[in-house]
Amino acid sequence: MKKLIEFRNIVKKFDDNIVLKGINLDINENEFVTLLGPSGCGKTTLLRILGGFLSQDQGEIIFDGNEISDVPPYKRPINTVFQKYALFPHLNVYENVAFGLKIKKTPKDIIKTKVDRMIELVGLNGFQKRDVTSLSGGQQQRVAIARALVNEPDVLLLDEPLAALDLKLRKEMQHELKRIQQEVGITFIFVTHDQEEALTMSDKIVVMKDGNIQQIGTPQEIYNEPVNEYVANFIGESNILDGVMKKDYLVSFDDKDYECVDFGFKENENVDVVIRPEDIKISKVNKGKMTGIVKSVLFKGVHYEVIVQTKIGTSKTVTMHVLDDRDVFNQDQNEKMHANDFTMDLEDVKDITDEEIVARANAQAWDSINDEDISISAVEYDIEERPGKYPVTFKTHNGTLITVHVNVVEPKYVEDKASNIGITAFDFYKTVDEIKESMAISVDLKTWADAYAWSLDDDEEIGIDDVNFDFDPMDIKEGDYKITFATQGREYKIHTTEYFEEGTKVFLNISPEDIHVMEKMVKM
Amino acid sequence: MKSFRRMVYPYIIWAGIFIVIPMLMIVFYAFSKEGNAVMTVSFTLDNFIRFFSDSIFVNVLLRSLKLAIITTIICIVIGYPCAYFMAQLKPNSQTLMVLLVTFPMWINMLVRTYAWRGLLIESGLSPELKVYIGMIYNFLPFMILQVYTSLSKMDRDLITAAHDLGCDNKKAFLKVTLPLSVPGIISGITLVFLPAVSSFFIPRLLGGGSYVLVGNLVENYFVTTGDWNFGSAISLIMTVVILISMYFTRKFDYSKEDR
Repeated sequence: MKKLIEFRNIVKKFDDNIVLKGINLDINENEFVTLLGPSGCGKTTLLRILGGFLSQDQGEIIFDGNEISDVPPYKRPINTVFQKYALFPHLNVYENVAFGLKIKKTPKDIIKTKVDRMIELVGLNGFQKRDVTSLSGGQQQRVAIARALVNEPDVLLLDEPLAALDLKLRKEMQHELKRIQQEVGITFIFVTHDQEEALTMSDKIVVMKDGNIQQIGTPQEIYNEPVNEYVANFIGESNILDGVMKKDYLVSFDDKDYECVDFGFKENENVDVVIRPEDIKISKVNKGKMTGIVKSVLFKGVHYEVIVQTKIGTSKTVTMHVLDDRDVFNQDQNEKMHANDFTMDLEDVKDITDEEIVARANAQAWDSINDEDISISAVEYDIEERPGKYPVTFKTHNGTLITVHVNVVEPKYVEDKASNIGITAFDFYKTVDEIKESMAISVDLKTWADAYAWSLDDDEEIGIDDVNFDFDPMDIKEGDYKITFATQGREYKIHTTEYFEEGTKVFLNISPEDIHVMEKMVKM
Repeated sequence: MKSFRRMVYPYIIWAGIFIVIPMLMIVFYAFSKEGNAVMTVSFTLDNFIRFFSDSIFVNVLLRSLKLAIITTIICIVIGYPCAYFMAQLKPNSQTLMVLLVTFPMWINMLVRTYAWRGLLIESGLSPELKVYIGMIYNFLPFMILQVYTSLSKMDRDLITAAHDLGCDNKKAFLKVTLPLSVPGIISGITLVFLPAVSSFFIPRLLGGGSYVLVGNLVENYFVTTGDWNFGSAISLIMTVVILISMYFTRKFDYSKEDR
């Protein structure tokens, strides 16, 4: 195949924002090339530079051996299908398609032959006289394609042309575009953020991110051998795990060693491991390398998406003391007051403020007649910096008061060295009513227990996904309850046509060729 | 919805009393003789014959049309580039420009015309020229705003598409921008031509007594002479002339769009 376009170190800035950071890309004749990436990755900017509607700050564009940076758009052998079609509303279908040829002063009879043939090609025969504004989105799309192609450009640029269409029409147009491209046999450069679109139509996919090219390859290469976590995530669904390359053809993740087909990494290099959901074989009977519990099953039409947990996360269990209501009622002033006992970390004693004590004890005062809140005017306490139980008294202006106890304890947290996660949570006291009134019990439990998990590597917060308890919040009685807070653990997403019930124990198997090992991405 | 429809009744009554009935009366007067005792109505075409048989009247009508047409053309010639320039500016500057264009309209047209009178009275210009200045000054903002609105609504991608399909700047303007702004020009013409053809106070204030237009004729026969029948006939003739010219303007608009 002959090289048609070369981008050489294209840099483009908008104000101080660098949109393209030195793009190098070759495009061959008759190729269907897709620029794929999220919005803001620079793909449309690159297309507009090629179309001549923007000029680059640095770099060269070589077209068929000539540098074309200074050639104005109307002299480039390139035509564009715009995202919102940009059809001329004052012209009908025929005139829209004929526009380019008329500008070039083509003889009328030749215009007629070419335009009619092109309208036929895009399947709009009989629509010649129609007003473009009366057409559906799909039909306008076809007019836009015909209007560009009739000029017989060497390259057709398509700027997210299917984005405005509904799903069914989009699928139809995908096949249609591919067919048209094969029929006219010219280079198509297609911009999209839709990975499926890219995989369906392209000969070559260019994955972009933040103004850089991440990977260039055929759909098969991009899907099966993504170069990094970003590409793997962007193209299709995948399980991405931290792993260590023990030696060539042997990678270790999830505390186990697996054979693989990758090589050439340093010994014990940290890597990302990508496994596609459809490549994991799941079974109830066969022995497998991994075992796990089915956490959820979603029906996706052709297949089920099964989430299997092979390892539970780092967890911490605390006790919730549920008390009866102990509201204080000051009959002279018609005031009611309430507060809970609470637990406090020894480390927090030094910096404790009145406000925080009020919040932790959930101290409140209110008028017993009209239920209006009354402010708490004084908090009295004498908490020492060592473990123990200390009284705390809250007062209002009118002399209503309530005394509760604070339990100062040594900081207790669990550190899981294997997964590098720390987690902490405290015992706490609540009344029956407070639990019954909770609108989102899992979230409230986390707040009440002050549950928090973090990475031991970089102290970043880690989400607590599991809150396990065995009581019914709507029907709770006094007593002590155990609550377990846990981080996510290891979960695999699996696509299978077989149905598995939630909670089933399953075995997982992965073939060596389905384990894709990639270099760790440099975090920016 | 139905109950809302009833809210239009007061307007219908209002319009009936103050628009339809006076119009009918004009028609009635135009076709009847002087001495308008209602009981002795006599149908006649005398008023129209009188108008068209006297070259002075016909000349006044032609002069009014000429004034209106030239005013409209000059408004397009000045207004279009102005509106085009405005539509190219950044959004904030556009808002400012629209404000500047509409600014004079905050003051009553009559007051502004008086101001022009003060400015032009010693200038030694011909009355005709003074009237033209006053007309163009007063009606130009309407043209600018109409054209600007149609230009600023236009999708910028259309121009990009035109460049993509082989147009240089000039061709892109002639083939895309201009045709798409025709509706704006048409409504601009409507807003300039109609008031211009029937205007009477601008010619009177700026042209003095020597520059008479149809509007002044009508005013004269109603207010000064008290000949309501002839005045009505002139109004009717003017109305028909306006209707015919509007018909041709619209026709031009549609033919553009059909093509």
